[in-house]
Amino acid sequence: MSEPFEPLLRSFDERRRSELVAAYMAVEHAAEPVPEARLGALREPASRRTLEAMLNLSGRTLIRAGRSEWTSGYQDEVAEELARDPACSPPAGDRAVLTLVLIHSVAIPRAAGRLPDDTWLSPHPTPLEELRRRSQLTITELEAALRRLRLAGLVAQVRADGRSDGGDAGGFVPGPQFHRLTPAARRRLQEELILAAGPDSPLAATIRARRRSRERVRQEAGRQEAGRQETRTQAVREAAVQGENS
Amino acid sequence: MTEPSVDPGVLARARARALGAPAQPVSEPVPAGLTTASDGERLWLLPAWPDGATPALLEEYDTAPMPMDRSGQARRVLAAALRCCWTRLDDAPWPGEAVPVPAVLEVYGGMSRGDAELARRWATGELRRLSDTGWLLLDESAGVVRPGPRVALWHDDALGPLRDLLRRLPEPPQGVLAGE
Repeated sequence: MSEPFEPLLRSFDERRRSELVAAYMAVEHAAEPVPEARLGALREPASRRTLEAMLNLSGRTLIRAGRSEWTSGYQDEVAEELARDPACSPPAGDRAVLTLVLIHSVAIPRAAGRLPDDTWLSPHPTPLEELRRRSQLTITELEAALRRLRLAGLVAQVRADGRSDGGDAGGFVPGPQFHRLTPAARRRLQEELILAAGPDSPLAATIRARRRSRERVRQEAGRQEAGRQETRTQAVREAAVQGENS
Repeated sequence: MTEPSVDPGVLARARARALGAPAQPVSEPVPAGLTTASDGERLWLLPAWPDGATPALLEEYDTAPMPMDRSGQARRVLAAALRCCWTRLDDAPWPGEAVPVPAVLEVYGGMSRGDAELARRWATGELRRLSDTGWLLLDESAGVVRPGPRVALWHDDALGPLRDLLRRLPEPPQGVLAGE
């Protein structure tokens, strides 16, 4: 078996190496973000850079959650590629159920000022009845979708707290995977919800305009990069010719 | 137009992670930097962890892994399935043998108290979940189950306690195993 991590870990002594491996396994497999106080390799910027390089081997990146907690997620460009692959996308029914959970547990409470701006985790559950009524899925399809979403950590079930004085009645909230979104992915998700909920709103128009201008900048950067590469290739060719001649 | 492109090796490893333990024909090339488990026909792509670590390492750091609903029940059903599929306990559990689902349900029934019919129903649901996550391979149309590719990731030196546990479980019914 090839050992892809070896070139990155080779220069560390045994203790530092095992700290890096522990931190890698923790950010990749823990349910929640890990406090840096618990794992030596998460505390120092230098070892976080090595950790980042280890994660990058599989298209992952280190994500800060809160002030001193860390987790991992897909790099934005990798997530974009994976989303184009039909095998990697959940079925439409699952996505519809997840969207309903995000609307009820995050978008509505956020609009009402009951949830901070930049989080996709929520203490406000979406009742099963609401999902049944709005999703247009049969109860069997809905249950299968919820089973898959829970297994993937995309939704979590919250039990009823037993209070009847306006307390939450139990249901589903976004799952622990939502810790793993990069800042850009959180922003994109926020924009998608605005575009879906109010396509004619001024905010939606601003988002569309911003995306158009970003796309133009990207295309321009692409053209410039192609130009630079051509210059570099030319320079290498010239250097090679000079080498042969010297 | 030049799109920001991702290294194909990186993308292949990312894709394998996103899909869990995807299978491919043995004849297809294997992306670098992954572990594989093969049964001769198919080959499953599994993660390669640094220095032989496994997610069990999380316990040493008081860190909870991804939660699984009814994990105790899922573990017992996995044990019942392994009791039937992993017949030569001195060998590795992978690839093991395919056995009829009723044999596993029977062993599970022998491990649990209470309503036998209810236990079978629960266990059938657990077999599906364990199959979704790559711990077992369930073929519902053929009515058989066998170990999943993830068990190939277990280190041999960690298998001792599992072997001891399986020896203490009820024996699989011979009639069912023989397909009678």
